[in-house]
Amino acid sequence: MGEKILEVTDLKVEFNTDQGRINAVKGVSFDVYKGKTLGIVGESGSGKSVSALSIMRLIPDPPGRIVGGKALFKGQDLLQIPMNKMRNIRGNKIAMIFQEPMTSLNPVFTCGSQIEEVLAIHQMQLTKQQRKNKAVELLDLVGIPAPEKRIKEYPHQLSGGMRQRVMIAMSLACEPDILIADEPTTALDVTIQAQILELMHSLQKELGMGLIMITHDLGVVAEVCDDVSVMYCGKIVEAADVRTLFTRPKHPYTKGLINSIPSYDATDEGEKERLQTIRGMVPSLFDLPTGCSFQDRCDFASDKCRGFDGNPILKKIADGHEVSCWHPLSN
Amino acid sequence: MNIYIYTIRRLLYVIPVLLGVCFIIFFLFNVVSPDPARMMLDKHATVKQIAEMRHELGLDRPFFMQYLDVVKSAFTFNFGRSWSTRQEISEMIMDGAIPSLSLSFPAFFLATLISICISLFVSFFRGKVIDRLAVIFCVGMMSVSSLAYILFGQWFLAYHMGLFEISGYEFGFPFFIPYVILPIIIWIILSIGPDVRFYRTVILDEIYQDYVRTARAKGLSEIVILFKHVLKNAMIPIITYVVIRIPFLILGALLLESFFSIPGLGGITLDAVKSSDFPVLKAMTVLSSIAYITFSVITDVLYTVVDPRVRLK
Repeated sequence: MGEKILEVTDLKVEFNTDQGRINAVKGVSFDVYKGKTLGIVGESGSGKSVSALSIMRLIPDPPGRIVGGKALFKGQDLLQIPMNKMRNIRGNKIAMIFQEPMTSLNPVFTCGSQIEEVLAIHQMQLTKQQRKNKAVELLDLVGIPAPEKRIKEYPHQLSGGMRQRVMIAMSLACEPDILIADEPTTALDVTIQAQILELMHSLQKELGMGLIMITHDLGVVAEVCDDVSVMYCGKIVEAADVRTLFTRPKHPYTKGLINSIPSYDATDEGEKERLQTIRGMVPSLFDLPTGCSFQDRCDFASDKCRGFDGNPILKKIADGHEVSCWHPLSN
Repeated sequence: MNIYIYTIRRLLYVIPVLLGVCFIIFFLFNVVSPDPARMMLDKHATVKQIAEMRHELGLDRPFFMQYLDVVKSAFTFNFGRSWSTRQEISEMIMDGAIPSLSLSFPAFFLATLISICISLFVSFFRGKVIDRLAVIFCVGMMSVSSLAYILFGQWFLAYHMGLFEISGYEFGFPFFIPYVILPIIIWIILSIGPDVRFYRTVILDEIYQDYVRTARAKGLSEIVILFKHVLKNAMIPIITYVVIRIPFLILGALLLESFFSIPGLGGITLDAVKSSDFPVLKAMTVLSSIAYITFSVITDVLYTVVDPRVRLK
């Protein structure tokens, strides 16, 4: 393994809502390595985006609040440092791109000026002309044709895929150590998705960044990730390298996710296989069952899983493979 | 398309609108209103007297000519003479506009500026105690009758404390200043409540947009985000709200002018209504329509400056 650049331990985030307090993230730990991609997978509401936003301290407060944990980056705890120091890290050392390319850019400023703005605050030695040149270079780097023309255009003049490229260009402006991508391809067409993933993958190799890829799409994970953490109801239920996770999933939830990837395999009669799903629904965070959160959807749930001390903890079962389940699958 | 061509094109659209407005004014005053000749003479007037009066007022001419008079007045600003004072109307309006504008423009400008500043300030502390207090305070200020502010100002601040002139007006700079300070203060106090609430809502609408999160993720400070990213987006509704109210300033502040005895357009209009002085009323209607149309064109042009998404088609 390479150099560890971010070490998140026991991150806890809660939200105070009108219906009561919810624990969106309940003690999540993961590491990000230089030049490697960590995938965080989970359904909506599993806490994956909240975890990522917490590292950047971008959780809207109120209603959200980081209540515990550490995020060590270059010897400093990102969750504790003062806001002005955090601002020096944001967009500079750690950058982030978001799910909604249509709304994530400011509609009233040109693409160029929005890229130059990052340079203006983090690389103050650059002149205006240098910033402009850099913006053109960056747009060229992310594969936008005619970048000199595009920097003068407004976000509404670009397609979703192009806007996401602008977002990527903006996030790479200061050559960050870590790039956090929060479902960067969810809102895009499938063909564009592949292009954007390919772009991020190649740029990551080129610049040697650590990449945190947040997604609900295991296809994306298989394509770009080195390590994967699977989240469910605010906790990591399984963490492994990508090959192990796909070939030997230990948690019934991981297994269910993998099984629900559609495949082209046809049966002998020429009929397509019925799509597999995980039965039931994600429980409401306001009303979690006692014990393991996955019990109601799990085929292997026992009395132990439903008991008061049934909440499983993440345990190492092999080198680089952790799972939190009382009945890990044997495969 | 370039912005100048757009502006010219937008101005050309004004002509049919203005002709329509003139038609409505003509229709209201010359066609459906009671015969002004009868209203001006007493009820014992003879048919001959009425006919003479109608001739004198030009009411016996064909409707089309009377309509043309209205249109002509809209373009030449020559509105004829008042029926009751026999004064040249354009002169009356010029005389009334000075006191009116010396009150309403500084008051409106200051009220808008102060309200936007307060709104930005409370938006910065959104959801915190300071923001909640500001909202409560605004609603409280809005709940007090404007008369209460005027009477308190005149009695306590002007009469009792002797800080300002109680009422009256003096023409010429800088002599008018002491007379308008108190009405301006009252205007600002009356505006702050609704304005701050409006601007705050507009700004908060923008503050929760995704691009603000992006700006934070870039490492921008909250101040830069608020003043650069949020304010420029919030300018679109703010411009509409501000510019479209400017034409009403020209009409003067009826209530404040009458309480402070400021001889402005509000007073002129009110007197004209009382004495059925149709030419003056017509002139005021034509002028305010022109002002309204002009400022809506300005609003449209400003949109294209502020918001690149507004297509210049």
